[in-house]
Formats: sequence, C-alpha cells, structure tokens
Amino acid sequence: MTYRAAAADHRFILDHVVDFAQVAATDRFADATADTVAAILTEAARLCDDVMAPLNRGGDQTPARLENGVVRSSPGFAEGYRAIADGGWIGLSASPEFGGMGLPMALNTAVTDMMSGACLSLQLKPLLTQGQIEALEHHASDALKALYLPKLISGEWSGTMNLTEPQAGSDVGALRTKAAPKGDGTFAVTGQKIFITWGDCDITANHLPSGAGAAARRRARHAGHLALHGAEVPCRTRRAIPARATS
Amino acid sequence: MPDAAGNPGARNKLKVVSLEHKLGIHGSPTCVMQFDGATGWLVGEPHKGMAAMFTMMNNARLGVGAQGVGLAEAALQKAVAFAVDRVQGVTAEGVPGIIGHAEVRRMLAEARAEVFAARAIAAACAVAIDMANATGDAGWEARAALLTPIAKAYGTDTGCKVADIGVQVHGGMGFIEETGAAQYLRDARITTIYEGTNGIQAMDLVGRKLADGGEAAFRLIGEIETGAKAARDTLPDLAEEVWSAAESLREATEAMLAQAMNDRFAGAVPYLRAFALVLGAGLHLKAALADPARAALARVMIRRLLPDHAALIARSRDGAGDLYALSPEVLAG
Ligand SMILES: Cc1cc2nc3c(=O)[nH]c(=O)nc-3n(C[C@H](O)[C@H](O)[C@H](O)COP(=O)(O)OP(=O)(O)OC[C@H]3O[C@@H](n4cnc5c(N)ncnc54)[C@H](O)[C@@H]3O)c2cc1C
Repeated sequence: MTYRAAAADHRFILDHVVDFAQVAATDRFADATADTVAAILTEAARLCDDVMAPLNRGGDQTPARLENGVVRSSPGFAEGYRAIADGGWIGLSASPEFGGMGLPMALNTAVTDMMSGACLSLQLKPLLTQGQIEALEHHASDALKALYLPKLISGEWSGTMNLTEPQAGSDVGALRTKAAPKGDGTFAVTGQKIFITWGDCDITANHLPSGAGAAARRRARHAGHLALHGAEVPCRTRRAIPARATS
Repeated sequence: MPDAAGNPGARNKLKVVSLEHKLGIHGSPTCVMQFDGATGWLVGEPHKGMAAMFTMMNNARLGVGAQGVGLAEAALQKAVAFAVDRVQGVTAEGVPGIIGHAEVRRMLAEARAEVFAARAIAAACAVAIDMANATGDAGWEARAALLTPIAKAYGTDTGCKVADIGVQVHGGMGFIEETGAAQYLRDARITTIYEGTNGIQAMDLVGRKLADGGEAAFRLIGEIETGAKAARDTLPDLAEEVWSAAESLREATEAMLAQAMNDRFAGAVPYLRAFALVLGAGLHLKAALADPARAALARVMIRRLLPDHAALIARSRDGAGDLYALSPEVLAG
C-alpha cells in the first residue's frame, strides 16, 4: 500500500471546519485565495507521495551515520531535501522580503502533516529550519536577517535547534553552555549540546545552530542568549553529495 | 562560518561528537554537539534568549502535533489496506477481508475519527496563530496559546495510538519489521517526548494557559456549545451529547482553577485529553453539518470516544495527595 497525502481532508477542514476564509480575508494573507490553497495542497501532496514517501523505509533501514566527523545521510535524503527546498516549501510561511511565500501557518501545518506521514525523518529538517527562520524574523538584527534568511529559506543552509544539554532537558533553565563576549560584538560559545536533530549532515552546505547559552559570569536562570553559530561543513557543493550519500 | 559576502568561510569551532542509536526516526541524525569557543552572534537582546527560543518552540510545537497526525494518517492507510486484503474466517456482512469483522472495523473507525479530530484541532490552532499575526488581536493570541499544548499533545498521542492500532490490525505481521507498520510506531514514539513532553504540555495548559482565570478556555467552550446548539435540528442526539460534554468541561475547568498548582498538575494529562475530546467532537459535529456524508464518522467520535471525557474529568479533580501517599519504595514494588 502506498501512502497518499490527505490533501482533500485538509481542504475540507480549512473550508468547512475552521473557517480559513477569515484568514484569507485579512490584508496580510490576501494572497491565500481558494486557488492558491488548492494549488499548495495538490503540489505538496504530489511531493509527499512521489518523492518523500519512497524514502521512508530506506531511512529506517539505512540510518544516518557519522563518518570521519561528517554525518552521511540516508539514501536519497539529499535529493529529497533538494526537492523540498526547490519547491519553496521551507519558506512557505516565511517573509516574502527574504524569499519566502508569506502564506498562513494553516497551510504550512497541513503541509507538515502530509510530509510527516510521508517521511518523518526527512521532514524534521525543514521543520527545524522553519523554527530558526521564525526566530530570526522576530528577533535578529537587520544585518543577521539579510545574511541568513535568504539562504535558510532557499534551503542552501539549514537551521537546527540547540537547547538540550545533559542536565537540561525539560528544565531548560538549567543549561550551562556559556557565551562569553569577545569584545567585537560576537560571542565565544562553549559547551555540550545533546539530542540535536539534523545537527550536521552532507545535504546542506552550512548548518546554523541557534541555541541558548548563559552569559559568562551571569549564569542566572534567565540570563539566556540566543546565539547563532555558522558551521561550515566539509562537503560544500551539492553535487558532491549523492555519490556518498546514496552508496 | 559565513564570510562578509555570506559564503561559507573558515570552519567554526563546533563539531558532532557522536550520533545516537534510537528506537525510531533512524533517517534523522540525532547529534551530540561540542562547542569549543565557537563564534556566535547574538540574536535579540542580551539575557532574553529564552523568550526568543520560545518563539521558535511555540510554532514548532504545533508542527510536532501535525507530525503526529501525519504519522497516524500513514499508519491508518496501511492498516486499512491490510484489513481489506487479509482474509480470516467468515465475516458478518460477507465482506471477505478482516475489515468485515466488527472488532477490526471498530479499531479502524475509532482511529479515523481521532485522526480527523486531531487534524482539525491543529488547523484551528494554526488559524488562531494566523489571525493573531494578521490582526494583533489579543483574543486570537490567547486562543492560539490555549490550543498549542492541546494540538501538540493530542496530535502526537493520536500518532502513537493509531500507529499502535495499525500494528494490532496487522496481527503478527504487524510485529514483523518488513511489513512497515512497526516503523510508524517506533517513529511516532519520539513525538510525545521532544518539543516539550506531553506531560509538560498538559501542565502548561492547566498552569500558564489558565492564568487568565480561564477566560480563553471558557470562551472556546462557549463556542463549542453554540456550535452544538446550531446542530440541534439536524443532528439532535449528537448535538445534545456535545453540548452536555462541553458543560462538563466548563465545570471541570472551574474545578481545575480552584485547585492549588501541584494538584492541578496531578490531573493535567487527563484534563488535556478531556479538552481535546470535547473540542474534537465539536469540530466533528461541524463537519457533519457541512457534509452529511461525514455524519457517520462524527457519530463514532461522539458516541464511542467522547464518553471517555467523563472518566477523564473525574481523574482531573482529585489533586496530588493520593499520588504522594505512594512512596518511591512502594512504587518500586
Ligand atoms: C530523537 C530526539 C531528537 C531531539 N531533538 C532535539 C533538538 O533538535 N534540539 C533540542 O534542543 N532538543 C532535542 N531533543 C531533546 C528533547 O526535547 C528532550 O529529550 C525533551 O525535552 C525531554 O527532556 P529530557 O530528555 O531531559 O527528559 P526529562 O526532562 O529528564 O524528563 C523525564 C521525564 O520527567 C518528566 N518531567 C521532567 N520535568 C518535569 C516537571 N517539571 N514536571 C513534571 N514532569 C517532568 C518528563 O515529562 C519526562 O516524562 C531531542 C530528543 C530526542 C530523543
């Protein structure tokens, strides 16, 4: 039995159960017309059924692995992620100013549902990148936004969330990673983070961990910074990926 | 690290130390990361990182709820296909596959009803976020905040439950990895844990999300009741059950508000599930009104699943005393 994303169910819920029309009636989401909604759901379902779902079993049977310090992703995941990025799905709800589509979360949530049924392991990568895009849109300086958002939205780079530490799980206030000011406006971040989903891989050229670290000397509970760290990974060109990743 | 032109430059001082071996989501690398004086840029204001981080986590919570629904959908589709093909014994209606057995049909029908309920709750939460973003209205913000823990916990609980049903419907084949049903169960299991465990979500609901004296909750319950009244002429029996369940939820919310915080926490998980069942039943009723072909599924939700709300509510009002009466030694057996 092959998976079929439930586009029609989502359409029905938006139209008849949760009054999506009121969202489309706002100025901000005026682009979310009935035609757009139909096109988004149909296209996303096609990607889920044809590209993502076929990768799901392989991901389970051939896990991502660490090889000489580089994370090698499961067979076909690099191409799958590229298809997600090329379709514009990462920036579905991101600001148009930086290349996003600016569409409602209601559509993005439907797409997340359909993609997760197709292949949860792969879907986590765009989900975490979307979280980072959102944090930057709300909180970053204009310079950081201009530098990072276009590349995150296009899928060239990806975002990760670095919160958990061995002693700080549910109690995120207990984190110990330190961010010491270097005097030039940047910080030196030191510490260990665990359980970091898609922390690195051979798919995207740069993985941007955003995470909270306590400021040095002021490890008070609420003294968290949200810091962003650029990490260049050895495998920089997209073309170099598939040979290793799919072998 | 990006150079001034935004191209990857020198490698930053952070690395993956190891990958975890996991129950599920094998295709997703879960990394131990070491930062050794890695260069970081401040995002937002100093010392307000946690607030910024929570922006990142809030919508991710809804996203994880949607992950649960998607997994449930995939697991259910697989189970239905199997139940149509697999022949065992003679079924009551003469349908050849095991889907003709009432007990198998029950599993699939309840699963489909919960998938719809969880999906509609996630959509309602997303619409509230969109309306809050588009209008800045405090009422929509409160609605989004109230629905987020429910969408996360109920969506992912549904993912696990339906994936579990999926294995059960497959019988012994469900336990065999080649079938693929087991993968959904293994993959679903993480979703109730990450992005704030479902226990933490429920505590958020009865704590922070009721800190307005229950205003947002009572307003939503009022809307469920209004919806039930609107269905009285067309679907009288179903409408009545939704209305009275909403009334019970109102009383349970009042009782929750009257409890001390740790007593609330002791009943938080059953309260969240009761809330989700009542809300989900209200959304099913709306669906049945819009499309009569959906009434049969709404009936399963309202007659077979919603009744649990009464027991769940009873479990939400007893405080924590009975739990602490059991020492760790007694619990260890
Ligand atoms: C596969 C995987 C991927 C992950 N991805 C990421 C990621 O990308 N980024 C990231 O930062 N983190 C990630 N995590 C971490 C995840 O978010 C945490 O595991 C989760 O928040 C729970 O923390 P913990 O594991 O320390 O459990 P604990 O906090 O130790 O919890 C153990 C149990 O105690 C309960 N508990 C804890 N505190 C309380 C309390 N105050 N009241 C009541 N009950 C409580 C919990 O509900 C749970 O049942 C991931 C984890 C896994 C396994």
